[in-house]
Amino acid sequence: MKPLKDFVRQFDANISLDESLIVRKENRYFLLNEKLEKLVTKDFFYAGTYLGKIKHGKFFPSFSLLRMIAEKKANKIIVDKKTEWLFICGRDIFKQGIIKVMGSKRKGDYVLILNQHGECLGFGKILRSLDEEKEGVAVKNISDIGDFLRREA
Amino acid sequence: MSGKEFFVSRYEKLGWKYENVKPRQAIRINVMNTKKADAIERLETLGIEFEKIPFLENGYWICRSKFSVGATSEYLLGLYSIQEAAAQIPATLFTELKDKIVLDACAAPGGKTVQLANLMQNTDAIIALEVRRQRLTALSNQLERCHVKNVIAYHLDARQVSRLNMKFDRILLDVPCSGNFVTDTQWFSRRTIKDVERNAKLQREILTEAAKVLKDDGEIAYSTCSLEPEENELNIDWAIKSLSLQVEKINCYGEKALTNIFGKQLDSSIESCRRIWPEKTQGFFVCKLKRRVDTL
Repeated sequence: MKPLKDFVRQFDANISLDESLIVRKENRYFLLNEKLEKLVTKDFFYAGTYLGKIKHGKFFPSFSLLRMIAEKKANKIIVDKKTEWLFICGRDIFKQGIIKVMGSKRKGDYVLILNQHGECLGFGKILRSLDEEKEGVAVKNISDIGDFLRREA
Repeated sequence: MSGKEFFVSRYEKLGWKYENVKPRQAIRINVMNTKKADAIERLETLGIEFEKIPFLENGYWICRSKFSVGATSEYLLGLYSIQEAAAQIPATLFTELKDKIVLDACAAPGGKTVQLANLMQNTDAIIALEVRRQRLTALSNQLERCHVKNVIAYHLDARQVSRLNMKFDRILLDVPCSGNFVTDTQWFSRRTIKDVERNAKLQREILTEAAKVLKDDGEIAYSTCSLEPEENELNIDWAIKSLSLQVEKINCYGEKALTNIFGKQLDSSIESCRRIWPEKTQGFFVCKLKRRVDTL
């Protein structure tokens, strides 16, 4: 659970998950509901809500976990429609595409990327202070929902 | 025994004149993730033209789109799934899903599993099985994309479900089948009657195992996207006689299934199953089964 909690803290966020309902399958973490918790056996492949996985000692979040963080107070930016699509295609975010910033604007901090409907598209890392007037790349794409398409390829 | 002529002549003997039908792409709004009106508005804004499927609550045919409907933000955010119209029918046949434990015995790639989760408002439990590991990954991706929270997926052959030591209220058997020519342009050159018979045998084995794990008041929805009677009416006739199951009346798109197959008279209740000849949809067969009352 520590890697997961540490990951969430990077967004200046805090989510409370019932640890008794979290199960680990090899390197992957899942959150169950109470009914699933009663039924699940240890040889499952996937269960409940996928939270993320540990690889080479690093935590990789699922998009479900990012959505859960986005529901809380956290570092977030809202981007315009064009930037939304470019981000999903794996591109970094230009300052001009950012409509609103909530939480940290500091260089090096992690931010969730939301569209204008408030839906979480992924997350990135602030490359330079979002207070700066300068145009150009402001947030580096780390993970985006276009990954669902790339996984199929 | 194979080839287009062979299969087309079989369809004619069953009362259907072959016509080449082009598949129509369809979507289903994931109403647990969005309001239907909101999703429709967003798709219209994208310039996608669509048409409501009259026999489905949340289904729409795609009439025109400048880009793939599988590559929009809305799709990646799980607001809708791409699912052929007839394939949206089986999950809707169950009478009540609240507080139920549901088995999706042949789940990948997961379109119907996600649909079940929607119908269950993402609560209670669905046990999803898939025998092929690679397809299990596709299922997992689908569940994550569509925000599904109430599924446990196992790498398990549907013929071994009793290993889980569970009984189920509802069982969806969308069994592996021979498919049909609408969704596979090479179908006639690929398929032989031996394939059909092999699939029919596998389907009977899955039905047998499902009957073992069905609760006394449980329901089975059985479906195939095959037009071949061996995988449909003849299998259900066999299940009635061998597994003490009975066919339930259903109210859905499709014609009454056939009760006479190449001169063989089947149980009359089979007309309550639905056979869907290709026209508005691909070829399909669907029915609902329960335990026979006199065996309880």
